[in-house]
Amino acid sequence: MTAQRQAPLPDGWAYDASTVDAGVLNAELFSEIGKPLRRREDHRLVTGKGRFSDDFSIEGQLFAAMVRSPYAHARIGAIDKAEAEALPGVVAVLTGQDALDDGLTAINHSPVPSTRFDVRLTAPDGSPPFIGPHLLLPVDKARHVGEAVAIVVAESRAAALDAAEMVDVAWEELPHVIDSLDAIKEDAPTLWDEVPGNTFVDCEHGNPEATKAAFEEAATVVRAKLHINRVTAVTMEPRAALADYDAETGRSTLYAGSGGAVRQKRELSAVLGIPQDDLRVLSYDVGGNFGARNRVYVEFGLVLWASRRLQRPVKYTASRSEAFLTDYQGRDLHTEVALALDADGKFLAMTADNVSNVGARCVSLSPLSKGAGLITGSYHIPVAHLRTRAVFTNTMCTQAYRSSGRPEVTYAIERLVDLAAIETGIDPIELRRRNLLAPQDLPYRNAVGSLYDSGEYEANMDRAMALFEWDDVGRRRADAKARGKILGVGLANYVESSIGTPKERAEITVAPDGAVEVVIGTQPSGQGHETSFGQVVADMLQIPAADVTIVLGDTDRVSVGGGSHSGRSMRHAGTVMVMASADLLRVARDLAAERLDLAPDALDYADGTFTARGTNRSVTLADLSSEQNPLSVARTNEMHAPVFPNGTAICEVEIDPVTCQIAITRYASVDDVGRCINPLIVHGQSHGGIAQGVGQAMWEDCAIDPESGQPLAGSLMDYGLPRIDTMPFFDVEISEVLSPTNPLGIKAGGEGGTTPALATVTLAVLDALRPLGVTDIAMPITPQRIWQALDTAAATPKEKAPA
Amino acid sequence: MRQLAITVNGEVRTADVEDRTLLVEFLREGLGLTGTHVGCDTTQCGACTVIMDGQAVKSCTVLAVMAEGAEVRTIEGLADGDRLHPLQDAFSRHHALQCGFCTPGMIMASLDVIERHGADLDAQTVRHELEGNLCRCTGYHNIVKAVLDAAGRGSPR
Repeated sequence: MTAQRQAPLPDGWAYDASTVDAGVLNAELFSEIGKPLRRREDHRLVTGKGRFSDDFSIEGQLFAAMVRSPYAHARIGAIDKAEAEALPGVVAVLTGQDALDDGLTAINHSPVPSTRFDVRLTAPDGSPPFIGPHLLLPVDKARHVGEAVAIVVAESRAAALDAAEMVDVAWEELPHVIDSLDAIKEDAPTLWDEVPGNTFVDCEHGNPEATKAAFEEAATVVRAKLHINRVTAVTMEPRAALADYDAETGRSTLYAGSGGAVRQKRELSAVLGIPQDDLRVLSYDVGGNFGARNRVYVEFGLVLWASRRLQRPVKYTASRSEAFLTDYQGRDLHTEVALALDADGKFLAMTADNVSNVGARCVSLSPLSKGAGLITGSYHIPVAHLRTRAVFTNTMCTQAYRSSGRPEVTYAIERLVDLAAIETGIDPIELRRRNLLAPQDLPYRNAVGSLYDSGEYEANMDRAMALFEWDDVGRRRADAKARGKILGVGLANYVESSIGTPKERAEITVAPDGAVEVVIGTQPSGQGHETSFGQVVADMLQIPAADVTIVLGDTDRVSVGGGSHSGRSMRHAGTVMVMASADLLRVARDLAAERLDLAPDALDYADGTFTARGTNRSVTLADLSSEQNPLSVARTNEMHAPVFPNGTAICEVEIDPVTCQIAITRYASVDDVGRCINPLIVHGQSHGGIAQGVGQAMWEDCAIDPESGQPLAGSLMDYGLPRIDTMPFFDVEISEVLSPTNPLGIKAGGEGGTTPALATVTLAVLDALRPLGVTDIAMPITPQRIWQALDTAAATPKEKAPA
Repeated sequence: MRQLAITVNGEVRTADVEDRTLLVEFLREGLGLTGTHVGCDTTQCGACTVIMDGQAVKSCTVLAVMAEGAEVRTIEGLADGDRLHPLQDAFSRHHALQCGFCTPGMIMASLDVIERHGADLDAQTVRHELEGNLCRCTGYHNIVKAVLDAAGRGSPR
């Protein structure tokens, strides 16, 4: 494959008004879209009336606690429950064998991305990869510290926790492996007998021959070996679930916040072996997700199972320590990259060898796949060769985490570009300018096959530099120096892909009083869907946003829906809501025509009312609805085309050379999100996204002791979360280059804050420390790491340091 | 088990508690006031912050029995009927909350900060004082703006 400028959009990609049945949207009619409307969600959340999972309680409920593996890798021998069962208040102690005896099966995570435009990932022999079955409780061995092997159910939480400590498991400790580069070594311990050697995905992409040739004739080649460290989402609400069983109907209800209730219902009912209709999942207010809640957690299945067995409600709420051990984690990619340039600084070719640590079993290959499609970043790189591997280790599973896969590869390409600037002596901004894709290059097929839809990459960079007051950096640098600080700046361009589950459904009903209700299958966890979706439907129906109510998160109301991940929600929901709104107006027009005894095309529609043209006879949408016959439509849409949000971010740091403390003194970004529905919300998403990226670059790390396999970051005291006194104000702006792939022209917002942030922080620190001889530094860039880097540089003879 | 009486949001409330019951458990489980949240187990996150006898405290680190006879104010006691407290209103106007889980604790802690600093409040002080309240969604930008606005210090950006 070779990169291709002005590549045609494949069939079904370009927005086609006729297939969508919505016509060409007239943006001049938009009155709610684009407004920074205050959120409808806020009132309940600022008054303490939110409905988070642990807020639900049912009379007579029991409490669950988990017996977790203290070892990274150990065979499970006999499990002695007697002492635990004898404690007062203990109702049951259940093991993996009990679950098997009850016919429970493994969670079907379907981890291999499967839309038509995801990068294909297979086993080394080309077959579908073995993913490691995810039973609710394993019966053979524990494969990471914290893996639950038994559940204790008791009358109180305290009793359950006390009893869990009394369950005696005969462990046989096995050798373990933590790092993916160790796991692929020949003598590494094997996690799964089915995959000797632990590598269960191994693929090649791009054009190896052309890439090799390009490297051979290159004027300059730069290389880097990088590790994008493992972090975790730290949703402020720990995960929780309350299961209730109604013996009369045989139905279970699960109160559990997630990234999408429909998926939870589908996969959990399959685990339990019950019809989907026998399970109702409720996911109301969700205290943060960032990817960690998208996949099913074993505890959700366990409380459901226990409540059915015991015929009583069972509740589980994770402690923060359990969240650190067993929330699905993020990143952990080793990447070895190289970039070839000609004598003019034009990029010729790129190679990447990406090794993803999925943990003890594979719940998602999204990070590896997403990153694979974007290794060449925002630049025209004619050819590339990529190897992708996914590897099992004795660690908690990794999953898509805030901007799945993209911060990793953005970090890699921007580090490479920076190295190339140093090596060639070309100014880093000028080097980027020479290689950035131009607006007329798009649609653009990159060297690994991804098709970028639209964007103005260089304009983003110019605008971000202006926002950052780039021309003034020299003065700020001198000013910092006068105060004894070292100032550095780091700029990164990014392009990312938003794909996501392709199917979404909207049901729109107009009540006789004019209230409009929209049932949709996304699942917000702070993104304000109840507000922004209302803005879309309001404009489509030409009614006030205040009249629209969005219904989410109850599988008795929501039948189809992909949940919220991969920046899919506004685009998928927006598109299907546009289609459903058009359907509704068509149905309503016919009804109105009948009512007024006219032909449908003799009516004008405006502001929720059909009027007989040239008369004062009219009917409103509300008039056309009755209790018996509500005005209602449902529409399901499947949309595979990805979109490519893009932008530029710039970070400024000041480092104290004595204490090695780093302060972020300035952060600017320009994000092309396509059409922005609610700028108040999108800016908020950008802010939070930046903080999460900066957090990874500066403090966050799921440190694991390689000797014992023990996680070392088990609480908020030893995992460095961004705090209010370590964050700056941000200067963020939105660019709206519409996507040609969907009726509203939406790309995605929020993840763009995270995507470039690992690179901007690292490049800023390196910019500051380069005069002192520091050329590389690993994340998280703690004061200790800076001190070590300065120490090493000082001990290195000057002539050996790169020019 | 013993019966405990604590004045919560102006009303004397009683519940049976064990000696080890935490104030936050008394509020959430004993009284059903689920607006006060638990986000950690090490007094780090601040989601459980309430006002006790005029001072912001993390209610996960106060035993319920220690609050006997005290006056406790929770997020549920802030609004005047349907009328939001200026701080609640500022949080909404400035989009200082996303998922809303940290918000009750953040607002109660901010209430204390504003009461102590009044018109002298500036962005740096807000950041210093709220260091013990964690938020994962907002990057804190709009929280600082909202607190300054509610304190009558306008908006810094």
